Amino acid sequence: MSRVVWAAWRLGIATARGLAGRPLSQAATGASEGGGAEGGGGGSASREAVERLVRAHPVVVFMKGSPEQPLCGFSNAVVQILRLHGVEDYNAHDVLQDPDLRQGIKNYSNWPTIPQVYLNGEFVGGCDILLQMHQNGDLVEELKKLGIRSALLDAEKDQDKK
Amino acid sequence: QMRGPLLAAAGRALHAMGGDSGPLASAIRSKLVAALQPTHLQVLDESWRHGGPPGAESHFSVVVVSERFAGLAPLQRHRLVHAALQTELAGPLHALAIVARTPQQWESDSHVPPRPPCLGGSKHDQRRD
Repeated sequence: MSRVVWAAWRLGIATARGLAGRPLSQAATGASEGGGAEGGGGGSASREAVERLVRAHPVVVFMKGSPEQPLCGFSNAVVQILRLHGVEDYNAHDVLQDPDLRQGIKNYSNWPTIPQVYLNGEFVGGCDILLQMHQNGDLVEELKKLGIRSALLDAEKDQDKK
Repeated sequence: QMRGPLLAAAGRALHAMGGDSGPLASAIRSKLVAALQPTHLQVLDESWRHGGPPGAESHFSVVVVSERFAGLAPLQRHRLVHAALQTELAGPLHALAIVARTPQQWESDSHVPPRPPCLGGSKHDQRRD
């Protein structure tokens, strides 16, 4: 695929998700001074930039790769768990595409690893915690608070009918 | 003192699959012991699952059973573990899977969920464009 076509494809994906095409860490620090990335590397996305991202949608995931093509087993586990609950509409950010964002969210949540899951703007944890929440029923409850009905509830209903 | 070749091969395989004998594994172990006084502790080098050579010591999984976790939500428990390993996480430790339970919880459930398989994405991999 030529570079132009690839870039257009990426922009298309970004637009579909309602995001700007360029790395968001740069978008945030464009207008303001201080601490953050000047454009290439060696910096990190500002708190304000990350804040905007985590508040942009009830379910926000920072991961390696994308939901269509996760590039890490732990990130994939998050995608699969959400999928089990019927959650396919969420904002996913590929930190491999944006090293400043990668550092920025680690600073923001004071959490050293990827993936990171945010529900309603609040940091919930990584893949281990999401798995635990899935297994003990907490995830169904948390999704309910966001107005999202877990698909697993309907699966149970179907079973009861049989 | 002759070790049969089978036993030696098994030993090599076990070490390659990850144990707790490398320097980073030892550092992780002693820091967790000091910070959390665990009643049960398992430290496993799982770098081999993520494309690293045997004994790469970049990806670890820990099972920590400690009374220090009582009353704490999972997030807080994990943060305690991270705090104990702050230096390592700022350095060579790239990924850390955590199981954090109280002794009571461990007594009723000592099952550890299977680790997700690797799907690449380590810095050793080529970028797929």
